[in-house]
Amino acid sequence: MKPSVHPLRASIIGAGYALLVLVMVFPIYWLVLTSFKPGYLTQTNPPVFFTSKLTLTNYAQVFHDDSLRVFFLNSLTVALGTTFSAVSIGSLAAFSLSKSHLSYGLRHGILTWILLIRVFPPIVVGIPYFTLLQRVGLTDTRSGLLLTHLSLTIPFVVWLMLGFFQDLPEELDKAAMIDGCSMWRRFWQIGFPLVGPGVAVTAIFAFIISWNEYLFASILTSFNAKTLPVAIATFIGERRLEWGLMSAVGTFMLIVPVLFAFIGQRYIVQGLTFGAVKE
Amino acid sequence: MLDTGVKKGGAARPRPTSRLSVIASGLVDDRGISALMLAPAVLVLLAINVYPILYTMYLSLFQYDASIPNAVPVFAGFENYRKLLSDANFLSSARITLTFVTAAVSIELTVGILIGLMISGRHPLIRAARVALLLPFIMAPVAAGVLWRTLFNVSWGPLDWLIRHLGLPPQQFLASPSQALMAVTMVEIWQQLPPVAFVVAAGYSSLPRDVYLAAAVDGASIWQTFWRITLPLLRPVIFVILLLRTMDAFKVYDIIAMLTQGGPASQTKLVSYLIWESGVRFLDMGRASAMSCIFLIAVFLISLLFIRALAWARVQTGAT
Repeated sequence: MKPSVHPLRASIIGAGYALLVLVMVFPIYWLVLTSFKPGYLTQTNPPVFFTSKLTLTNYAQVFHDDSLRVFFLNSLTVALGTTFSAVSIGSLAAFSLSKSHLSYGLRHGILTWILLIRVFPPIVVGIPYFTLLQRVGLTDTRSGLLLTHLSLTIPFVVWLMLGFFQDLPEELDKAAMIDGCSMWRRFWQIGFPLVGPGVAVTAIFAFIISWNEYLFASILTSFNAKTLPVAIATFIGERRLEWGLMSAVGTFMLIVPVLFAFIGQRYIVQGLTFGAVKE
Repeated sequence: MLDTGVKKGGAARPRPTSRLSVIASGLVDDRGISALMLAPAVLVLLAINVYPILYTMYLSLFQYDASIPNAVPVFAGFENYRKLLSDANFLSSARITLTFVTAAVSIELTVGILIGLMISGRHPLIRAARVALLLPFIMAPVAAGVLWRTLFNVSWGPLDWLIRHLGLPPQQFLASPSQALMAVTMVEIWQQLPPVAFVVAAGYSSLPRDVYLAAAVDGASIWQTFWRITLPLLRPVIFVILLLRTMDAFKVYDIIAMLTQGGPASQTKLVSYLIWESGVRFLDMGRASAMSCIFLIAVFLISLLFIRALAWARVQTGAT
């Protein structure tokens, strides 16, 4: 099948791949390397690209920092809470929208509205959030931050889950209807269990969105509900020289989504395009 | 994208067969349950999306400087908007934002398509490259900010080292008013190339193979195959990712906050950062709200334009 490749062309192609991997991956390598470097090697000229003098000092410092532990727990709680709420609220809505019990106009209207929310820049709601949360006494609380993260995740969950539900064979649902299953049972006992992997991937995406979110967290939290992204940002201002420490927090922040992303790799494209393109 | 995929026309509602469901359907029928299932999402989004936007629109009509103690909003009509139209900071920020979005998205698309074709194979090494490409994309923008601050550092950063080794004069990167926007754009591109490449790769691998066989039989060159077959067939996919990338590029705030804080000399002050500065740092709520509304409408109009183009591309290629 495959025509033989000219050696010159092969080496050009090879160089292209090498360049791609170098440009895209070197920065990550640099971050991880800096986090393991002892302090005296982080700011040298020329820079140290390889070293065997690796240390865990930065990580030890991160794990022994009491306030960082609080921020980590905040990040985790908010991200898990957001994921759980967004996936349950969003799946219910998506199932309802995937069936034709409500009028076409209503369903189409709601989906278009949700699509527009995906398009709007978050800063537009970020500033009013502060005033609104203050009114209900939720500034600098995890639940307040969680609530705002729902505006980023619910639209996402609805569109993604809608795609998964629409992919299910219609006969299943019809059969259940004829057997007298209510809408609720068809969701809970048939639809939802069948899209299991889809739910997992949607949850991963929702988690990463909330885990990485910085803008709302920086406006709405000061200490009690402060998350890791906000902590890193304040580091830049306060601990200007401790690049090793900051890189350690950055690496740690990357590990969590990486673990999740490897699990959900297969469906990432569907998530990226809001369900518009399927692999 | 505007085609929401919702099916028209109701499925025939079956007659309840058991006594239990007769009772159940008497209390809440499927239509009722459907509405109930939709209700939480609609209510939450009304509260955390529609309400804040309406509140912003309302505030944009007031003179309200919250940095003054005990200040109360004073109704000012369209005064905030009128001022913004001649506000040099706002206009230059709008121009910078358009430059940023255009540059970032066009490079992401062209290079992303190329990378997408590169990573669409099944070779184990290519699969490994795909996994590696995930990393920049799933990294928190704030973490990417820390990372690129170290890369761009002018006295010990690797980029400075590279430039010296290539025999070029030392550069200021983030500290230079003429280079900072380019540097920030580069970080954005680095993070957002992978999603473009992934989507293009997925679209490419789902294209019909026989077309390519036919082209090969007819002796088409790689170049001809790309321009005449691959690109036209990928058009719908490319339009979707173009729309999403453009809308997301307008949202960029995190990397500006981490890398430049809008500086030097306000050369990287994107509109989202300017709104943040005006509303959060200077607490000028009226001005920030008016900017938010203009920004919202602009982004909305641009996405509408794109959606139209997308629908057109779908018609041209006979829908995917």
